[in-house]
Amino acid sequence: MAKTRDFVVSDLPGASVISILVFVALYAPILVLVIYSFNAGDSVAKWQGWSLDWYRAAWANDEVKAATWVSLVVATGAAVLSTALATMAALGTTRRPAFRGQTFIYVMINQPLMVPEIVTAVALLLVTAAIKKATGYTGLGYLIVAHAAFCIPFAYLPIRARLEGMDLTLETAAADLYASRWQTFRRVTLPLLMPGILAGAMLAFVTSLDDVVITEFIKSPGQDTLPTYMLGQLRRAMKPDVNAISTLLLALTLVLLSAFFLLTRNRK
Amino acid sequence: MRRLLGAAALLMTGTAMAHAEGELFLYNWGNYTSPEMIAKFEEKYGVKVTITDFDSNDTALAKVEAGASGFDLVVPSAGFVGIYAEKGLIQKLDMAKLPNHKNIAPEWVDVSWDPGREWSVPWQWGSTGMSVNVKDYAGDINTSDIFMNPPPELEGKINVIPEMGDVMALATLWAGGEVCSEDAEVMKKVRDALLAAKPKWMSMDYSTVEKMINHDYAATVDWNGSAMRARLGNPDVAYGYPKEGYGLWMDNVVLLSDAKNVDNAYLFLDFIMDPENAAMLSAFARYGNGIAGSDAFMPEDMKTAPEIVPPAEFAGKGQFVTVCTGKALDYQTAIWTELQK
Repeated sequence: MAKTRDFVVSDLPGASVISILVFVALYAPILVLVIYSFNAGDSVAKWQGWSLDWYRAAWANDEVKAATWVSLVVATGAAVLSTALATMAALGTTRRPAFRGQTFIYVMINQPLMVPEIVTAVALLLVTAAIKKATGYTGLGYLIVAHAAFCIPFAYLPIRARLEGMDLTLETAAADLYASRWQTFRRVTLPLLMPGILAGAMLAFVTSLDDVVITEFIKSPGQDTLPTYMLGQLRRAMKPDVNAISTLLLALTLVLLSAFFLLTRNRK
Repeated sequence: MRRLLGAAALLMTGTAMAHAEGELFLYNWGNYTSPEMIAKFEEKYGVKVTITDFDSNDTALAKVEAGASGFDLVVPSAGFVGIYAEKGLIQKLDMAKLPNHKNIAPEWVDVSWDPGREWSVPWQWGSTGMSVNVKDYAGDINTSDIFMNPPPELEGKINVIPEMGDVMALATLWAGGEVCSEDAEVMKKVRDALLAAKPKWMSMDYSTVEKMINHDYAATVDWNGSAMRARLGNPDVAYGYPKEGYGLWMDNVVLLSDAKNVDNAYLFLDFIMDPENAAMLSAFARYGNGIAGSDAFMPEDMKTAPEIVPPAEFAGKGQFVTVCTGKALDYQTAIWTELQK
């Protein structure tokens, strides 16, 4: 490419070398993990040929199955709850002229992105312990609500982006044609917004699926999720079945992120 | 809305189940509880056992301390049993309900953190010593000189686990002090020796098993269970018990004050002190269990393993690594920080 007078970062000397190094640093460890999940031996670092043994071992492990189930229930619940709340928040903050305290509201909604997770976790531990003491309820509700809370910004941001790119005149036109507010929302706004909502739900699902710190602190007995199960293996020797589980989690995340990409790609 | 209520009702049933009879909630390190032993217990008593994992003593303590943890039994390390007792989080054991209490091996009854075993029951124990590849070094491996004053053959090929308590205990014992020494002269000797030895080390890393098997390290400070796994993968690896004194650790089961299934908890505590069941635990976790008579039921490869059964001459040389406090901890932290630079 010919040199232009514009400042283009990728034209700087060494830019490609640095970007390649960054990608290697990001992806090489994950690649190694994926490859070793197919190792035949019981070592996480010594290659002994291809096999699916560790996937079988993970599949046969009741604890892994139970943890998978908890992970999926919590992630689904948290995604639904946080997306519903985030949709309302996004509609409330964008379908109107700028208002006083707007930035404050944004910061409030996105607070989980900024507060260190361990702080939220310890705070939630104390609150949930008090509620558990008072009510005796120890079900999955705590995890779902807590996950929903920190998933809200992940659901909120794509929905808001979608709304901001949407033409307000369509809604005005609907109103001109005597559509009630509810009809306008149901027939015009919501269908146009759907890709944003689905994208938000997927990001929220993936975020919940990955969480360790908050889950570790507020889980009740028998509520290990896949990440906390894997963390529990740390003190003992890791076996490649952890690699196999990680690879499956990675695959699920990739599928959802690809769907997210496809849904948001067509935004004009 | 109706669906939402249905979901809420479904979640609420969790409450009812948690209080049902025939349950037991165990809070333990991950991958540490023999599934076969749990199945045997469940079948014998008709009690459903739910195991939940923790990743550190600190997390476990924080959750129990917050209250309403929902657990009946927890498995903290030796140094933490006293903390649980002091904070009133655990209850004194009723010996009348533990006929197998007599099976605790004599050396594990009057332990420093729980004299007479009134609060805790042994789970698993192990030691901290030296793993050495004997092809690289033919000399005496039963000494902390391996890492404190490395022989020339091992220079540049030694690993030290980055675990302050364990390493400082070995170093202090080597220098002639006690585990939590407050003696300035001893600690100065420890500091100088560690700083002088560090350039001869290769790394400070946890993953010793793989690297000893692959011969990436010639020697490492190691836990006995890792040492045994390394030897099974590479017969040249041997485990040394430093004659200056080596480290010991033990995890113990305690009964929480707010346990809801106390009777089942007693059944379980008594069950794991039965030699045959204790051996099942060891067969899975690969460590010793502190129950007399369990050797007879141990898997063959553990009965004779020098890592699990210390040779007679070293049997009494182990020192418990506890969490040091006050001046001793200040010394350790200062030296450790300097060592990490």
